[in-house]
Amino acid sequence: MPRAGRRRPVGGVAVGRCPGDGDLRRGGRKRRGEGPGRSRGSWSGAAMGGSASQLPRDLLDEYQELTFLTKQEILLAHKRFSELLPKEERESILLKRVPKSKILTLPELRANPFQDRICRVFSTAEDGDGSMSFEDFLDLLSVFSDSATVEIKSHYAFRIFDFDDDGILDRKDLEKLVNCLTGEGDETRLSESEMDQLIQNILEESDIDKDGTINLSEFQHVISRSPDFASSFKIVL
Amino acid sequence: MEPRWAQTGRDGPDDDDWGQQQPPSSLFLQLPSNATLRFRGNVAKAWGAALDEGEPPGAPQERDGEGAREQESVPLKQLPLCMAEKRILRLREQRVAWKRSRWEQWQVGMRHLWGQVRGALLYAQVWRGSLHRIEGHFGTGIQSYFNFLRFLVLLNLGGALLMVGFVVAPNAAFEGLQLNQTQRGQNSMVNRSCLQYDPTERGLVSYFTYLMDLLSGTGFMELTHLFYGYYQNSAVDFVGFSYNIPLAYLLSVLGYFSVCLLWILHRAVHLLKRSLVGENWELSTYSHKVFAGWDFCLAPGTAAAMKHNSLRYELRMDLEEQTLRRLMAQRSPGQRLALFSLRGALNLLVLGLLGAAFYGVYRATEYSQRAQQDTSPGQQGLVLGLLVAYLPSIVITAANQLVPLAFGLLVRLERYPLSLEIRLTLLRTVFLRLSSLLVLLFSLWTQITCHGDPAADSCRICHYNHQQHPCWETSVGQEMYKLLVFDLLVLLLVLLLVEFPRKLLVTHGPAPLARLLGQQEFLVPPNVLDLVYSQTVCWVGTAFSPLLPLLHAAKFILFFYLKKLTLFSNCRPADRTFRASISSFFFLLVLLLGLAIAWVPLLYSVFVLQPSQACGPFRGEPTMWSTLWVAIDTLPLVAREFLQFVGSLAFAVPLFLLLCILMFYLMALDHSYSCLVKELKGQLRLEGQDKVFLVTQITELS
Repeated sequence: MPRAGRRRPVGGVAVGRCPGDGDLRRGGRKRRGEGPGRSRGSWSGAAMGGSASQLPRDLLDEYQELTFLTKQEILLAHKRFSELLPKEERESILLKRVPKSKILTLPELRANPFQDRICRVFSTAEDGDGSMSFEDFLDLLSVFSDSATVEIKSHYAFRIFDFDDDGILDRKDLEKLVNCLTGEGDETRLSESEMDQLIQNILEESDIDKDGTINLSEFQHVISRSPDFASSFKIVL
Repeated sequence: MEPRWAQTGRDGPDDDDWGQQQPPSSLFLQLPSNATLRFRGNVAKAWGAALDEGEPPGAPQERDGEGAREQESVPLKQLPLCMAEKRILRLREQRVAWKRSRWEQWQVGMRHLWGQVRGALLYAQVWRGSLHRIEGHFGTGIQSYFNFLRFLVLLNLGGALLMVGFVVAPNAAFEGLQLNQTQRGQNSMVNRSCLQYDPTERGLVSYFTYLMDLLSGTGFMELTHLFYGYYQNSAVDFVGFSYNIPLAYLLSVLGYFSVCLLWILHRAVHLLKRSLVGENWELSTYSHKVFAGWDFCLAPGTAAAMKHNSLRYELRMDLEEQTLRRLMAQRSPGQRLALFSLRGALNLLVLGLLGAAFYGVYRATEYSQRAQQDTSPGQQGLVLGLLVAYLPSIVITAANQLVPLAFGLLVRLERYPLSLEIRLTLLRTVFLRLSSLLVLLFSLWTQITCHGDPAADSCRICHYNHQQHPCWETSVGQEMYKLLVFDLLVLLLVLLLVEFPRKLLVTHGPAPLARLLGQQEFLVPPNVLDLVYSQTVCWVGTAFSPLLPLLHAAKFILFFYLKKLTLFSNCRPADRTFRASISSFFFLLVLLLGLAIAWVPLLYSVFVLQPSQACGPFRGEPTMWSTLWVAIDTLPLVAREFLQFVGSLAFAVPLFLLLCILMFYLMALDHSYSCLVKELKGQLRLEGQDKVFLVTQITELS
């Protein structure tokens, strides 16, 4: 009866939306969630300090195939994510979402000026509040990992820098970006003329079709020539 | 917020450059080039819309036959989709999987295995945790220094393995096993006075002589495996074949240099793979600084605040420099003439300083060598003896510290833009450091070969100065050994006497003094030049002291921990950050320059100079290279003819011509590619204007 070898989502393929809270998996995974008494399947993560949260091995394999993370990194992410949840929710870690405020307490994200955008881009919550599930967290770490390709990093960088979500980087986006870089507070911003000059220079360098905005391919073209983009666009737990 | 071209009726400052049409934004947002909108996570409808169509955009299509095979080309992890989407695609792939042949399954399995291996290797890098911590606190600029240091440790360990494995260990084993050694080389026709070489002390020896010997590599140290002079010119019969010691020595030294060259080139190419692609990689500085400027791995705390400050500072400096350049271009000819003559005079001053430094090194070496031969060590006190022995090292180190300060002052008078100032100072410092080493070697050469005059009194008998240097290779090795020891001593002294007291003063001392001194800044370029200089010393000395790579590896490991200690206790991040990767390439370039400089004395000693008669594995041979020819003569006829042909001019000249032709072809190819790129850029501009025009027309007509 239990089909440990082949998984099928309960609702079939055309689900119609990106499941925010694991409703896709609820049918398929319920068998696995049934306690440690089962002898079928191997459980990994038992070495994680004796906590009750464990990842089944084929889920681990699947994550390894679908992300750029190694096994150790996935297990470490699992541990850090479960620490963000209250104790009683740690059993069903795959089904829960962590609110944005808690995600931003992670030291890797706390000092980042783009923390809001990062949460918003990677979160799959329907109401857009920026809360993240464990798989969103893995997606985030995968894009920011050492082995991710420059293409996928630049794709997500573009989305993070696109503050108004309209698919292009225009003047306002660039202004907000520069202000994020130079720091919060009025005395840390560049003056009006300096900002204009800077944005003019950026558009001159990156805008190939001269329409006043930077679209995804122009961004990727400019970024691919930057030698230290890959090493600075990195978050490692 | 609407894009610029969608702002109706408002005049922007550069209206005639951007399209003035006013198309509605909704149609534009549906175009394929705005594809990223479809990936919006919080716009759930976009996801749903994409899935209902059967395939998310950007994902491979499901087709039969070869289409299914094309799916392999994009691994799932590289798709910018959320996890659930990727899972769906994976299931779809698995359904197709049973149709695949065994070969493809094997390929997929291999790729999976390779991914696992790479993951394991990445995790097993040495000092990974420390580098991660440094990156989090100080940024990638300073981390690149420690990365470079780690690379040098690995390089030296690899080189040490080669040298120890083929030279030191076999010799030690042969002595230990007391195997039969057959002497080679013609000793009969040599003047007896050339053969006198006895570095051991006789009679009553005071205790501090041993200490001096340990620190300067003389006395009992000369008769260890550390120096060239200890090895024999013999062949050992060993398990059926004969191990030719001089041949092994020569080949392992040349092999060590080649391995170092290949390793450094491999790393340089790896670093450069991306940045050399664009035709003008210098011209995207603003975009790179803004888009790739923030270090996402910075930990919270002062590091993040410093990064904000340094980014702001850098952007402001660059904008100022731009306006300055514009002003400079508008200077009158009179002003330009004045500026050029000022720069000419300052360059002459720089050359004068360099000349003075080189002359100081030359005289110091001469005096030190003569003083060491004339008086025996027992007559001087310990401190005086050490001072005399280390005089060249002291002068070189003093020059390396003081002259760059003068360079920094002078370059400010030349009124270059800031980035050019930094690069010029760096270039001059590099030249100073590497050339002072060359001057030291030149000074040794003049003593060993009597200023290159084979007819001079001291050099007539043995073709080298056998009274001052009975074993000249060991003398050179000793100088390099002394430079190594002195470098380490200077680091320890500076750490104890300068950096820690400064930190104590700044934190606990009176406020005005603290503000005057300021906390120590960890400047990456001077530290890297120190490392390159040490590595060049190692390379120059390896031919004459086979254990030197091992000693350098130990020294660099010690460096790593000491520098890490001083970084975390005493330093704050620099104000002006050095771009990590361009600087990594710059470090490797300077390292290659050091390697090129180290080849010069090696090749000269191997091909031209006569080896010492009294010591070493090449005694009795006319040159070191002749052992190789003798060995080649014992090979079978075909191999011998082939090697002789490769070494002759009949091969070298056509090869050179062929390489020239190849180079010209590549230059022409590069020129045609850049023309093509310019054309394509122009076409893209036209396409952009076409697009705006067409969309306007469509909406007007509909």
